[in-house]
Amino acid sequence: MRGGRDALRALQVPGDRTREQIRKVIKLKTSRKFLLLILIPIFIEALVFLIIPILGTLGISFLNYNPLNHSADFVGLDNYRELLDDPDAVKAFKNTIVFTVVAVALNIVISLAVATLISQMKSNKTRSFFRMIVFLPCMAPMVASAVVWGRSIFNTKIGLVNQIIEAFGGEGVAWTGDPHYVMFSVIVFTLWADLGYNIILYSAGIDGIPGEVYEAAELDHAGGWNKFFHITLPLLGRTTTFVVLMTLISYFQMFAQFSVLLFKDGPQNSGLVLTSYIYENAFIYKEMGYAAALSVVLFLLILIVSLVQQRINKVDWEY
Amino acid sequence: MKDFAYTRDFKSRALIFAILLAVSIIVVIPYVWMLSNSFKTTIETLTDPMHIIPQEFTLDGYIKVLTKSPFFHWLGNSVFITCFNTIVILFTSTLVGYLFARFRFKGRDFLFAMLMFTMMVPAQVTMITTFIIIDDIGLYNSVWALIIPSFVNVFGIYLCKQYCEEIPRELIESARIDGAGDFAIYWRIVIPQIRPAIGALAIFTFMEYWNDYLNPLIYLSSTEKMTLPLALSYFSTQHTTDLSATMAASALIMIPAAVVFIIFQKQFIKGLSMTGMK
Repeated sequence: MRGGRDALRALQVPGDRTREQIRKVIKLKTSRKFLLLILIPIFIEALVFLIIPILGTLGISFLNYNPLNHSADFVGLDNYRELLDDPDAVKAFKNTIVFTVVAVALNIVISLAVATLISQMKSNKTRSFFRMIVFLPCMAPMVASAVVWGRSIFNTKIGLVNQIIEAFGGEGVAWTGDPHYVMFSVIVFTLWADLGYNIILYSAGIDGIPGEVYEAAELDHAGGWNKFFHITLPLLGRTTTFVVLMTLISYFQMFAQFSVLLFKDGPQNSGLVLTSYIYENAFIYKEMGYAAALSVVLFLLILIVSLVQQRINKVDWEY
Repeated sequence: MKDFAYTRDFKSRALIFAILLAVSIIVVIPYVWMLSNSFKTTIETLTDPMHIIPQEFTLDGYIKVLTKSPFFHWLGNSVFITCFNTIVILFTSTLVGYLFARFRFKGRDFLFAMLMFTMMVPAQVTMITTFIIIDDIGLYNSVWALIIPSFVNVFGIYLCKQYCEEIPRELIESARIDGAGDFAIYWRIVIPQIRPAIGALAIFTFMEYWNDYLNPLIYLSSTEKMTLPLALSYFSTQHTTDLSATMAASALIMIPAAVVFIIFQKQFIKGLSMTGMK
C-alpha cells in the first residue's frame, strides 16, 4: 500500500521513532478503512447502474422481452435477424450514417475555418469576443434551440427562412415537412447549435502552435494559404483526431433535435435515426428485446468507427 | 508575441473581420427572432412576422407562461436535479480519482479498466436495463430516477485521476507526517491542487444535466415533475398556435444560460480547451 510506504519513508526523518511507528500502524488501518468506505459504495453503484445495464441489455437482446404482453422467451439471434428485414430499422441506419457523415464533415471544415479566421484577429479582445459569440448556442439546451428554430425559423408560413426567400420572389418550402429537405434542415440546425465546441477546441490547438514556426515560414515568404496547409493543418493533427472522434460518437447518438424539430420522425421516416427508433421501441411499444438488439448494433457501430479512426491515425503517425 | 501567425495585409484582415461578423450575425439571429416574437401579440406573430421590433409591445406571452403553466415547478425540478448531481459527482469523482491515482490496492487496475470500458458504451445501451431497474425499485416518474443512477461519472473520475497524479508526492507526505488523516489530506491538499479539473468538471456536469432531454423523457410522465427542456417541448406542442408564448418560454430557458455563460465565459472556454487537450 502506497500510503504505508510513504509513512515508512517518513520514519527516516529524525525524531521520535517509536511514536512515528505507532502512528504508522494507525495510518495503515485508517487508510484501509478509508478505501473501503469509498470503494464499496462506488463499486455497488457502478455495478448496478453501469455494469449490469450493459450486460443486461446484451442479455435482453436475445429475448423477445415485452413487459406489455409479459413475454420474455429466449429467441437467440431473432431480434438481430429481424432488424435486417425491418425497413424502418434499415432506414434509421441509413439516416444515422448520412446525418453523421455529412454533419461531422461540415462541422470539422467550418469549425477549423472559423477558428483559423478568429486566430487572425490581432487583438485578444476581438478574438475572445468572436469565440464567445460562436459558443453561445452550445450553452442553450438543444431542445430550446430546436423549438425556436422549428417554430420561428423553419416554419413554412411565418418562418424567417421562407419569409426571406419570398421577399426575394422565391417560393418557400416545408423545411421540416418535406422529405427532401428534412435532413438538410436538421444538419443546418445541428451545425448552428453545436459548432462552438469544436471552434473552441481548434482555437486552443492553434494557440498551442509556437510562433517561431510561423516566423520561419515568414522568412521563406510563405503566404497565408501556404502557412495554413503546411503548418497549421499538420500541427493540428492531434486536435483533429480528438475532435473528429468525439463529434462522430456524439452525432451517432443525436436525438433531441430530431425529436423536437420533426413531427413523428418526419414524413416517410425521412428523419428517423437510430436513437429515436431505439427510444420508440423500448419505451413506447415496449419491445425491449428488439430495442436492446438495436442499441447493441449502435454500440458496435460506434466501436468500429473508433477503432478504424485509431488505425487511420496510427498510419498517419508512422507516415 | 505570435505576430507572425497573423495576416499582415490590412485588406485581407478587414475581409476576415467582415466574414466573422457575418458568422456572428447568423449565430445571433435566432435569438433576436425568439425575443422579437416573444414580445409580439399572437396575432402579430402570424400577420407580420418580418418586423423585428413589435408594432404592439406586449408581455402577454411571458405572463401566460409564468401563470398558466407550472413554470416554477419545472425550474425547481431542473435546479434540484442539476445541483444535486453536480455536487455528488464532484465529490465522488475527486475522491475516487484521488484513490486511483495515489493508492495501491488489489484489483485497482482491473477496476479502472472496467470503468473506462463503460465510457465507450453509449447511453442507448444502458438506458434500457437502467429503466427496468429504476421501474422495479419504484422510482418511475420521480426526479430521483434522474439522480440515483448518476453518482458515478467515469469521465469525472478519469479527469480527476489525471490531475491527482501530478500532485507532488512531498506535499502529501509532509501532511502525513504532520498527522493529517486520509480525509483531511483529500480535503485540504488534494482538492486545492486539482481546482482547474474541478471547475471544468462542474461546468460539464452542470450542462449535461441542465440540458438533458432523453432521460427526463424516459422517466418523467406527469407534467409537474418535468424538467425545463422536457417541459418546453411539451409546452410547445400544447401551444402550437401561440408562437408568442412558446418563444417567451424558450427565452426564459435560454437567457439565464446565456447570462451565466457570458459571466463565466473565461472559465468555460479554459475548462473546455483544457479537457480537450488532455
